[in-house]
Amino acid sequence: MTGLRGAAAVVGVGLTPHHRRSTGGPALRLCLEAIVAAAEDAGIHPGDIDGFVSYGAERSEGQKMMPALGTKELRFAGLAWSHGGGIPGALNVAASAIATGQAEVVVVYRSLSEYDGRRLQLDVAQDDTAAQFLVNGLDAPVQLCALGTMRLLEGEGVPASTLRAMAQASYHHAQRNPAAVGNGTVLSDAEYARSRWISEPYRLFDCSRENDGAAAVVLVSAERARDYPDAAYLLSAPLGAAAGWGPLEGNQNPLWSAGFGAVAARLWAESGYRPEDVDVAQIYENTTGMGVSALIDHGFCSLEDAAELITFDNLIAPHGRLPINTAGGNLAEGFIHGMGLVVETVRQLRGTSVNQVPDARLSLMTGGPGDAVVSSALLGTRDTL
Amino acid sequence: MGSRFKQHRISGGIGGDDRFWEALEDGELRLCRCGSCGAWQWPAHFRCGRCGSWEHDWPLVEPVGTVYSWTRTHMAFPRTTARAESVPYVVLLVEVDGTDGARLHGVLEGPADALAIGARVRGTIHPPADESLGYPSLRWALETAEVSR
Repeated sequence: MTGLRGAAAVVGVGLTPHHRRSTGGPALRLCLEAIVAAAEDAGIHPGDIDGFVSYGAERSEGQKMMPALGTKELRFAGLAWSHGGGIPGALNVAASAIATGQAEVVVVYRSLSEYDGRRLQLDVAQDDTAAQFLVNGLDAPVQLCALGTMRLLEGEGVPASTLRAMAQASYHHAQRNPAAVGNGTVLSDAEYARSRWISEPYRLFDCSRENDGAAAVVLVSAERARDYPDAAYLLSAPLGAAAGWGPLEGNQNPLWSAGFGAVAARLWAESGYRPEDVDVAQIYENTTGMGVSALIDHGFCSLEDAAELITFDNLIAPHGRLPINTAGGNLAEGFIHGMGLVVETVRQLRGTSVNQVPDARLSLMTGGPGDAVVSSALLGTRDTL
Repeated sequence: MGSRFKQHRISGGIGGDDRFWEALEDGELRLCRCGSCGAWQWPAHFRCGRCGSWEHDWPLVEPVGTVYSWTRTHMAFPRTTARAESVPYVVLLVEVDGTDGARLHGVLEGPADALAIGARVRGTIHPPADESLGYPSLRWALETAEVSR
């Protein structure tokens, strides 16, 4: 166990609407909306936030927001590598700052807007796509993920039904979330099968949305969190990559994986819990197939029995074996580079999800799958400490 | 020695593979080995993490291998608009023979009937073009039954 287990907790969440891309206005404004909402949710004055942590190519830096937040002193700022792979790792950076006394109130956030940013494919990929991809007609993350998932399906024999189940669970959950962009889209087997190919084996409904928006969570020390009966404690949030993984241009091993093997082992060791203890999970799915790989990497199932676990019935709240993406996820709630999943991870522990899992005590979030480094976070209620 | 690609420099990724692209412009496939311990190193990097050497060899490699994975892309993306008229097109990830498993991407040309993971492929080298963003490229074709090996 690391000294960070239970050292910090999320006590406030904020989420803007998922605007259609390029209609959301400036990213910095959206970011302020989410952070102020998270501070108010925690009953903390926005000016008291003294730490700012994000990931990917976040451009709404803390120092840009200080005048608007009334920041008294910025004492800590950091960015977790890399892309969406760093999301839960950003929680770990925040907890590290809190546990070491460098900051007291740390916000972890992400803002994206095509109103004043670029296509998310570029903002999210950080213009860091290797020549070996671009020269050969591979640009978007969805195409790179497709090569990994083709290996999972055709190479390892995991049935394509798992992809459909992931998509249908997300859209099912979105029907109870009025704020979800997929609200009103009922994804039947036929509708899924009819949808157009994007990059095989992915169809349109296997791919995440693109939205303008921002999301934020506020963390404080476990001591300060005692004032909050619904605090969500960070039990473990490792970030990393094992040898053989990284930005290896299709040479990662095993390529069918989402890269979480070593990180998941640390997550379970540090938290003291096992996959079967998890009540609900938010699985970052830029594409359905990478979500399937993430579930296998975390030990919820194996390559051999993936099709047994990953069914629609098993993945839906309230009573599935492992309800996932209970607000609709990146596919059907909307895409703010995965940060909405952190908010939903916390809602489940508070009992305020639109698709609440009864008495959820352990809530998992897995970060951007297949990324060069990845991270996962297990959060729990106070009695899980 | 080829270097036209440098006028269109793509800066993403590790970027230790200039020699690969230079060779490809000259019509040759060359991959990277450590100049000291001989370990194949792909994607090419600046230092051998196994023995610590900064020296490299770039031996000629025959462009033949096995399909490791593939995807058929059905739309053009922002940086692949030059391929808009080619969609759908198939991109292969190929494990190259004799390189300790180095994998290279490349567009599939010719019939795709026998496309499958494990299929044998042969590559041909193409000069810099708009669709390959000013870089030379390797394209793969499935080896048919009548090709004797």
